[in-house]
Amino acid sequence: MKDKIKNIVLPASFGILMIALWEGRMIHKLLGFKPFQLPIPSEIIKTLSKNFNKAIIDTLTTVNGALVGLVIGCIIGFLVAVIATQFPKWGYTGLTVIATFNAIPIVALSPIMNRWFESGFGQKVGVVTVVCMGAMAINSYRGLNDLKPFARDLMQSYAASEKEVFFKLRLPNCLPSIFTAIKINVPAALMAAMISEYFAASTSGLGFGVKDNLRKGMMAMGWSYIVMASLVGIILYLFIIVVERRAIKWHASQR
Amino acid sequence: MEAFNYTDTTEFMERDFSNSKETGTEIKIENVSMVFPDKNGGEPVTALQNVNLEIKQGEFISLLGPSGCGKTTLLRLIADLLQPTSGNITVRGETPRDVRLKKKYGIVFQNPVLYDWRTIRRNVCMPMELMGMKKSERTARVTKMLELVGLLDFGKHYPYELSGGMQQRVGIARALAIKPEILLMDEPFSALDEFTREKLQIDLLRIWNKTNKTVIFVTHNISEAVFLSDRVVVLSPHPGRVSAVVDIDLPRPRDMECRQTPEFFDYMTKIRNSFEGV
Repeated sequence: MKDKIKNIVLPASFGILMIALWEGRMIHKLLGFKPFQLPIPSEIIKTLSKNFNKAIIDTLTTVNGALVGLVIGCIIGFLVAVIATQFPKWGYTGLTVIATFNAIPIVALSPIMNRWFESGFGQKVGVVTVVCMGAMAINSYRGLNDLKPFARDLMQSYAASEKEVFFKLRLPNCLPSIFTAIKINVPAALMAAMISEYFAASTSGLGFGVKDNLRKGMMAMGWSYIVMASLVGIILYLFIIVVERRAIKWHASQR
Repeated sequence: MEAFNYTDTTEFMERDFSNSKETGTEIKIENVSMVFPDKNGGEPVTALQNVNLEIKQGEFISLLGPSGCGKTTLLRLIADLLQPTSGNITVRGETPRDVRLKKKYGIVFQNPVLYDWRTIRRNVCMPMELMGMKKSERTARVTKMLELVGLLDFGKHYPYELSGGMQQRVGIARALAIKPEILLMDEPFSALDEFTREKLQIDLLRIWNKTNKTVIFVTHNISEAVFLSDRVVVLSPHPGRVSAVVDIDLPRPRDMECRQTPEFFDYMTKIRNSFEGV
């Protein structure tokens, strides 16, 4: 218990210290920044609260695209892993192809994919989907196939069907890996959605907000969007962790 | 460790020792050979060569030998987890596959193979779900099985909360849950410490006594084989073959003191001398 408190208090005090140094313009002095290059926290908060409604709408635009893409990407990735598991001969090739997508940098992929879809929403969903497929496919394939020694023999000795092996052994065995993939994919999806907005002709969203405001020299407003993006990322991540803790409390990572 | 609960349940009949030499042949192994091809294109490995063996109904038989003697292979052939290269195995006149598909085998492996995501109760329940048993029937049966292995209080726990010895007892309970006719045990106690192992050996004899199953027990431990078995089949490696079959005529029920009798040591010496080419 003491360790737990220590693990919260120490990083929190470090964060508060950094913000205080930032607010007191110590960082500016140290690195030679002018005030407009790095607005101080109180100014960012003030700007954000003044434009909160617009910021929320932009945030929801991005989050919508990111979540839809996340869900589609995760489902496709998982299905590929299932096919690779049940039909190893040609399914494994599909897995390799999907995994290769992960090696393509989003900044390269995003401008190309933005030409494929008409709407900004479609563009966002497309990029996020591609980004999320790989991690889910690779992780869940591992979860479906890294079985304890003799676990398959046990099922075979009871003459269990492939379907029973899948639902009673592989799928529950895979749950921790699915959560790992989702935890990787949540920040990646937000990032991919924002990057898609950088390159798109869209006029809403977090990515557009950051780009547009910084271009217009409205640094505090640009930073407001960065704050919103961070908050959304943290909230989504915490949500996944809470669900995970309930869903796989038997797993070594949750004890 | 938790003491066993020995309450008798009607289902487990007391074993009648006056009549323990049953005559019915349960398993017949004729001229069985098993050759594994080498994956890298080298010489194929002969795991078993011309094995002949008859196992009687209700018998406790051990397959004993050093690593590489094919004892686990022989067990897996009986279980239909492997198919022999040549020769024939019949179980009550049927093929091992028929017996497996009818779900008449209970297997205990080298490690407990419990499913981490299931509580102890639901682990024991798993094979009964595969059999399509009714839920009320399953629940009653799980309780009975956990009682048998002395783990009734741990039903709601997850496997990681139990010691290695307790987990292996859950494995035994699960194997017995579907009322198998033949219990196959593949070095089930080899990963346990000596104290736990000796305790579980006595527990196993007590359970066997109550359930009257045919048990085929694979081990590399001579004293374990002598203590448990009616008969010890000694296997020698390169190639795996039966080099001796030793009847163990120690009185039952056996307890810790049985291990200190001169007869016990005589059997151990006899078996140790019967190994070839180790």
